[in-house]
Amino acid sequence: MEKTFRVRKIVRGNVEGEAVVIPGSFSFLGDVDMNTSEIIAADSPVKGIKIKDKILIYNETKGSSGGMVVLITMSKKGIGPAALVTVKPVDYNLAEGAILSQVPFVCEPDGYILDEIRTGDIVRVNASEGIMTVKSRNSRAE
Amino acid sequence: MKLTKKEMAMLSGDEGPVIAEAMDYLVQFGEAFGAEKLVDISYCHYPAEMAIYEGNVEDAVAYSKKNVKVRVPTTNSTLSADLEKPGITGCPAPLVHLQSEIEKAHRNMGILETYTCTPQQLGFIPPFGSFNALVESSAIIYYNSVLGARTNRGGLFTRFSAVTGKYPYMGYLLDENRKGTHLFKVTAPEEMLKSQDGWSALGMHIGSIVGSGVPVIEGVKANKQEWLLSFGASLATSGSVTLFHIPGVTPEARTTEEAFGGQVPEKYYEVTEQDIKNIYQKQSNIPLGSPVDFVTLGCPHYNLEQIRYVADKLEGKKVGDSVRFWVCTNRMTRKQAEYSGYVETIEKAGAKVISDTCPVESHMRISTCRDFGLKVPNIEAMVCDSGKMIRYVGDLIGCKTALTSKDNCIQCALTGRWE
Repeated sequence: MEKTFRVRKIVRGNVEGEAVVIPGSFSFLGDVDMNTSEIIAADSPVKGIKIKDKILIYNETKGSSGGMVVLITMSKKGIGPAALVTVKPVDYNLAEGAILSQVPFVCEPDGYILDEIRTGDIVRVNASEGIMTVKSRNSRAE
Repeated sequence: MKLTKKEMAMLSGDEGPVIAEAMDYLVQFGEAFGAEKLVDISYCHYPAEMAIYEGNVEDAVAYSKKNVKVRVPTTNSTLSADLEKPGITGCPAPLVHLQSEIEKAHRNMGILETYTCTPQQLGFIPPFGSFNALVESSAIIYYNSVLGARTNRGGLFTRFSAVTGKYPYMGYLLDENRKGTHLFKVTAPEEMLKSQDGWSALGMHIGSIVGSGVPVIEGVKANKQEWLLSFGASLATSGSVTLFHIPGVTPEARTTEEAFGGQVPEKYYEVTEQDIKNIYQKQSNIPLGSPVDFVTLGCPHYNLEQIRYVADKLEGKKVGDSVRFWVCTNRMTRKQAEYSGYVETIEKAGAKVISDTCPVESHMRISTCRDFGLKVPNIEAMVCDSGKMIRYVGDLIGCKTALTSKDNCIQCALTGRWE
């Protein structure tokens, strides 16, 4: 069953991919290995998961303003996320990184995406139209 | 977005393609956030273009070859190597070589070579209420909160602001976004907040609660520049805090009412002795008495007084054989510290005064080691008086850590053990 959310567009684009959901805040500096795209933050619930080509969904951006450089570097190497979704309004610093690396970026969904989307679900982010859709559920969960 | 005639001309290429491209990015950026116009900025702090990020330096060098100059006073942030004394950190030659290309590139563009995370310590202090474009989260929060010089959390777009002198009128440039969002009342004893590590712990705690909010803190005596600097650096580490107010201390909050723009919230968060202790506990995982082989002071970069203090404490002493002890600062401060004899005292004790960089921005990051085919430095444990350094070093360099006082850092350096 598809479920659709309205979102606010920050950087345009329309992509589909597997979701990686982090219920808390996330820093591109320190929380991810920019060589492998693996989440390395010791306290992360998705530690060990790679964000390459994934739809990275989290509550809020935190940490160093070097974060955008990590995003750009990963994108240049071809191991960046397919799209970014944050519940809270977008961080200015990371928005710059997403514009320069052309990673679709949306925020402020009109529903509780952190509860309703699970890591492994297939999600389409249509930033240009301001819509994100959960296409299918991760069968491995539950 | 409404542009002036001059801005329209810049956007449409009257001042060349580089300016047109910069304006296009700034307009795109502003429109994404609903900015109504661009404003003139007073000052820029420019990204460091660190060699540890693939393509970062190359990109900056290519940009400088477009022969475009910055239009406002522009300083630059930290590097991956100490370029004056490249051997001092053990940075491999290829990385030093790559990093050094940035010097010429930035000189070509008219960027001032400060290579520091604390340009305010060098006197780059734009007027209260001015609009600016900065990188470096610890500087950003200091300019906003302590100086009242307005900036968002900038990144590579600082480039486009520096060459045009413009930034979209949005975010923390607007009065309405500078009001407090969360009230904190600190009941932890005053003695816990008489050091950089204490303020660092307070910042780590509050930042994790407010996220991107604007905290207002009551019940603290904040009369030291470095305490406010450490506090801000930590707020911007555990959260993405861009602005804080301390009534009676910071300039936009003579009172708590003023900090909140009139309406003081009923709900407040108490910060207790236990909250602060919890941060120390969370950031410290070195078993008591076990070896410490890395001691770092200077996150954010130390000023002359802080270096003098370390020199004073190390006078006539010797740090443990297996200990790296880095005191990080900027080039100009190190020059003065050399002139005043502090560097010699520190070096005689077996410690180093490093400029331009710091451990987490250096070649010692695990991912950088992989990129350059280096052996991972295999650090056992680092102690530091900065919550920011401790937070990043654990995951990026991969070692045990402890947040502790400056004096205890020095003590650990002398004994080579976690005391």
